Amino acid sequence: MRNQWKQVGLLLLGMPLVAGAQRTDPVSQSELIQELLTRVQKLESRVEELESQSSASRPTTPVMLASVTTTMPMGTAMNPPPLSAQAPANTQGPIPEMQPTYPSLRLAGFSDFNFSGADQRGSRSGFTEGQFALHLTSALSSKVNFFGEVTATARPDAGMGTPIPATGFNFEVERSIIRFEQSDHFKASFGRYHTPINWWNTAFHHGQWLQTSISRPEMTQFGGRFIPVHFVGGLAEGTVPLGGLNLNYNAGLGNGRGSVISRAGDAGDNNNHRAWLVNLFAKPDRLFGLRIGGSVYRDKITLASAREFREWITSGHIVWQKENPEVIAEFANVNHQEVGRENTFNSQAYYIQVAYRLPWFENLWKPYYRFEYIHIPRSDAVFQGVPNLTGSVLGFRYDLSSFAAIKAEYRNQRRPGQPRVNGGFLQTSFTF
Amino acid sequence: MEHMNHRPLRIAILVAACLIIGRYVATAQSTSDVAIVVHPDVPVDNLSLAELRKIFMGDRQFWSSNLRVTLLVRAPVARERDVVLKTIYQMTEAQFRQYWIGKVFRAEAASGPKIVYSNDMATELVAGIPGSIAFVDASQVPKNVKVLKANGILPGEQGYPLH
Repeated sequence: MRNQWKQVGLLLLGMPLVAGAQRTDPVSQSELIQELLTRVQKLESRVEELESQSSASRPTTPVMLASVTTTMPMGTAMNPPPLSAQAPANTQGPIPEMQPTYPSLRLAGFSDFNFSGADQRGSRSGFTEGQFALHLTSALSSKVNFFGEVTATARPDAGMGTPIPATGFNFEVERSIIRFEQSDHFKASFGRYHTPINWWNTAFHHGQWLQTSISRPEMTQFGGRFIPVHFVGGLAEGTVPLGGLNLNYNAGLGNGRGSVISRAGDAGDNNNHRAWLVNLFAKPDRLFGLRIGGSVYRDKITLASAREFREWITSGHIVWQKENPEVIAEFANVNHQEVGRENTFNSQAYYIQVAYRLPWFENLWKPYYRFEYIHIPRSDAVFQGVPNLTGSVLGFRYDLSSFAAIKAEYRNQRRPGQPRVNGGFLQTSFTF
Repeated sequence: MEHMNHRPLRIAILVAACLIIGRYVATAQSTSDVAIVVHPDVPVDNLSLAELRKIFMGDRQFWSSNLRVTLLVRAPVARERDVVLKTIYQMTEAQFRQYWIGKVFRAEAASGPKIVYSNDMATELVAGIPGSIAFVDASQVPKNVKVLKANGILPGEQGYPLH
């Protein structure tokens, strides 16, 4: 019986030979079996040899976790694992390399290059170098982390000015945040943030590659004045499950706008009134991909002219974060009232962007469209010089790889008292 | 002599039977469930698919205030990774990568999932790292890790969502 099973096993091993030869002669069969037995013996001795070599060379600490932890944020395999990590090792007890090391600095970067041309009088077509953004994260302990974002932006006045000519690039600390994480329900942080009062501002930051379109909506433009893009202060944040609603909150206290209202008070507040904000949003379990939320922001602004204004910003957003389709809609109302006066001014801005990742051509193409609108009362002294806008953006994104994209965009913008402007834009953006 | 003449026929039948059984086994293995395994100290026995999604998407980062979640994810091409991408993340490979780059860039997570290259490596690390969670082939789960129920169902039971 045992011999029969042995024969079956041998025959399975030698099946290709059997199939190829198609021998029916009994003498040939016994020769074949003998031949297979010889091969099996050779293979067995080879396996024993390899196993003895493997056990002799196996290190005492078989798993090198260090090679596992040094991965990119998205979790891709950057290096092949060491042989010892690939091999199933029978280890007992703690593995020394499993202990995390602090600080553990990780670096990532984003950049882009652009070509643009428009029919606006005085504009010139040509290439521009986009922002060079570096992102740093470092765990300082199991509950304390640091996040930083610095950018270098090409200056149009490079080499000009006396006595010291302007440098070629403008260096800026965009975000610098130290965060203590008590639990999912409560995290406290201090630093310089992108103000969490609307979605785009906190979703894409300076990583152009992350966003579908080339341009940011006008209401959240860096250097823009409609909403305070940066916020210097402290934030409390967390998540509450709330029956599958997954309510997230941010509550912050900070310096608010500086005398130049597009800038945060990095070097200190310009008055004794802190700005505060509350941001709430939900990501319901039942509608995976949906995010809906709103914010309020309160500040007292002191302009360079020493005029003081109270500012209320209320905003809301609804986002369908999947790509089939992707829908982003945001609205913000900015209310200004000069201190000691009764007149109030309300400015509104909104945009809606729709995109769709096409299911053909390996899901690499993603056309998109965005409509945006800004209305600002002429008599609002805080927003003087900020123009109204009605505009459309139509484009497509083509993903060259998992880490690089090419985008093409047509923009049509109309501002009061000015002719309609048409522009074409090309961009390659990437992360590294 | 007559006995010898029947031998090739018997062998052929045996080979055919083995091929059929082998194919059945291979099919069964290729569709086996993907088990969610955690370190034995994780104070959870069952997670709904929505809760699993929150954990694997980095939205839930703590089991308790003293125990942080450590995500272990199989490297690309592994069947277990494909199952989790399709069922839990509902993303393509490219979307998954972009998601985690964005997550870390938004300062919502200090790092992305740690990569493991085999089921053995995943279970070995899960057994060694407090708070760790991974997904492995249900037929390769050792005894020193805890297998979680998904939607109240264990791997191998009818209605298990990860396969």
